[in-house]
Amino acid sequence: MKLFEHQAKQAFRDAGIPTPRSVLAATVEEVKAAIAEIGFPCVLKSQVLTGGRGKAGLIKVVTTEADALAKAERLYSSEHNVKTLLVEEAVDISREIYVSVTADPVEATALILASADGGVEIEELAETNPEKIIREFVDITTGLQTYQAADIAYRLSSNPNEAKQIQKILMSLYKVFSQYDAELAEINPLFVTKSGKILAGDGKLVIDENSMHRQTTFERTRDYYDSDMEFEAAQEGIPYLQFDGDISLMCAGAGLTTTVYDLINYEGGTIANYLEFGGPNYRKAVRAMELCLRNDSKVILIVTFGTIARADVMAEGIVDAIRRLRPNRPIVACIRGTNEEEAVKTLKEAGLDPLYDTEEAVRKAVELCRTGA
Amino acid sequence: MSIFITENTRVLVQGITGKEGSFWTKHMIELGTQVVAGVTPGKEGQVVEELPVYHTVRRAVAENDVDAAMLFVPPRFTKDAVFEALDSGIKKIVTIADGIPLHEMLQIRDAAKSCDAMVIGGNTSGCISPGVAMMGMFPYWIERVYKKGRIGIMTRSGSLTNEVTAMVVRAGFGVSSLIGIGGDPVPGTRFAEMLPLYEADDETDALVIIGELGGTMEEEVADAMQTGIFSKPVAAFLGGRTAPKGKRMGHAGAIVTGGRGTVEGKIAALEAAGAVVAERPSMVGDLLKEKLQ
Repeated sequence: MKLFEHQAKQAFRDAGIPTPRSVLAATVEEVKAAIAEIGFPCVLKSQVLTGGRGKAGLIKVVTTEADALAKAERLYSSEHNVKTLLVEEAVDISREIYVSVTADPVEATALILASADGGVEIEELAETNPEKIIREFVDITTGLQTYQAADIAYRLSSNPNEAKQIQKILMSLYKVFSQYDAELAEINPLFVTKSGKILAGDGKLVIDENSMHRQTTFERTRDYYDSDMEFEAAQEGIPYLQFDGDISLMCAGAGLTTTVYDLINYEGGTIANYLEFGGPNYRKAVRAMELCLRNDSKVILIVTFGTIARADVMAEGIVDAIRRLRPNRPIVACIRGTNEEEAVKTLKEAGLDPLYDTEEAVRKAVELCRTGA
Repeated sequence: MSIFITENTRVLVQGITGKEGSFWTKHMIELGTQVVAGVTPGKEGQVVEELPVYHTVRRAVAENDVDAAMLFVPPRFTKDAVFEALDSGIKKIVTIADGIPLHEMLQIRDAAKSCDAMVIGGNTSGCISPGVAMMGMFPYWIERVYKKGRIGIMTRSGSLTNEVTAMVVRAGFGVSSLIGIGGDPVPGTRFAEMLPLYEADDETDALVIIGELGGTMEEEVADAMQTGIFSKPVAAFLGGRTAPKGKRMGHAGAIVTGGRGTVEGKIAALEAAGAVVAERPSMVGDLLKEKLQ
């Protein structure tokens, strides 16, 4: 789960990482109060989860109250679904650094990435100037050692006053990475101010989904999702992505569902939603179909080839869903795997015409969208 | 000989008394796997499929010779169960658990490396050599998928593996050994680390790789082909060619970030190394035929 900037910065501050002074504001009135506290110049930072906020015009520097309130008004009513603004003091920046902690799947360690050239996308820098990136592998069991943090810090700054602050920030950032079971803990940019202070200018913290059962600080609310449907599906534990095409996918297995998604695109069809009801969800056919039917799709395409998720149980679930929900659009079903003979029998009895071949099923679904049958 | 698991591999099942554990133990034995004992804390003295159950792995290995451990253990207990197997000197471990915390998976892979052991998974169905033995959950009785033959299969996926393997079999081939690496961002063993086993296996003529967007495992296979570590023919199918950037499609490991992990990049690397890459599952069989002529 990716956190909002203000949440990441709170976690950073709790661990001892300095940040510019800031106040969170949910309304224009609150922005007015925040400005009174923070003073000018300050920055209005839209709290959204998408990257590239600067380029999208979602971060504004303001110097007067009238300007601030007008800009706040515009940000709140923009198409980017801005619920809150972080009103933050503008600091005098002399340069920007990059630091992050992530997992290295090959070495099976934590990995610190750092660069004296911060502020840009690290992937971009890795392409253009790979020699400017410092990499330090950290034993996941024993954690970051002081000498490692010191070595990175003195490579990022030759000024001992600055380097000492950076070293402390690195130790704290690693603590955040560990404590929050993070996939990524990133500060980009890390400001070096003209007075020689080091502050986290931005904050990114992504918590590992598989660790959410023990990470209870942040509640998963509607704010983290792009649509109501994605939020509802997530609460049910059903993987779901919203698109705006014609075919509702109701498939099983991550790899197979992704492949069906590709095949529809190859055949010139469009996808209304990606939905998996395999794995532990294979008895949730009714709930899955309900979600599909709330879309403005023309066809529901069901493709499975399950092992643990038994074909006969899935077929029964689908027939039950049809009986209860009376779908107002055609269903193309291709259900294979454990006990598939039973599954085919069940589907035929319910009046469906089950297919055996994935690509044939995809072509049929795309064709049905074209003919509007 | 098949790879990783053969008819002679003596398997201990951790979590044998659970619903999945007992169900798949029965099928592992039916296929021909030598399961020798099981472990479930608190259940010593019970018998599952005529096998003795022990409280701990230490107690099981004290009375049985064990080569491999098959874990039917929930994700949050998996790290402990893997460490327990490693502590008893077991060098081959398969875990099917879906949902192992990321930091624990790093510890598992790190520990396995320092013990010179191999952990397969999590988030996988396991591995199978059709007609010989399996560790995991495979409907081996579906003949149009799990037919014995001479093609090796390595995969990051479950259902997609059934789909693609059915196409390999439809083209007249069969499977020597199938290894499910798993769909997590940090698998215990990576594609490239299995390659020396397939290379040395005289029952494998060619390899099919079923990959997807995200990570660098397919690129590592291409590197191994370039450097001559793997010299047998390779055909690949990769899911997620048209996946939108930045969205997590399905598996936790299946995400493109900052331009890394794209299917285009993987295809380019594999093709440059001499592999053939199928656009659709149905093409894998024919490409394999051409490659083997």
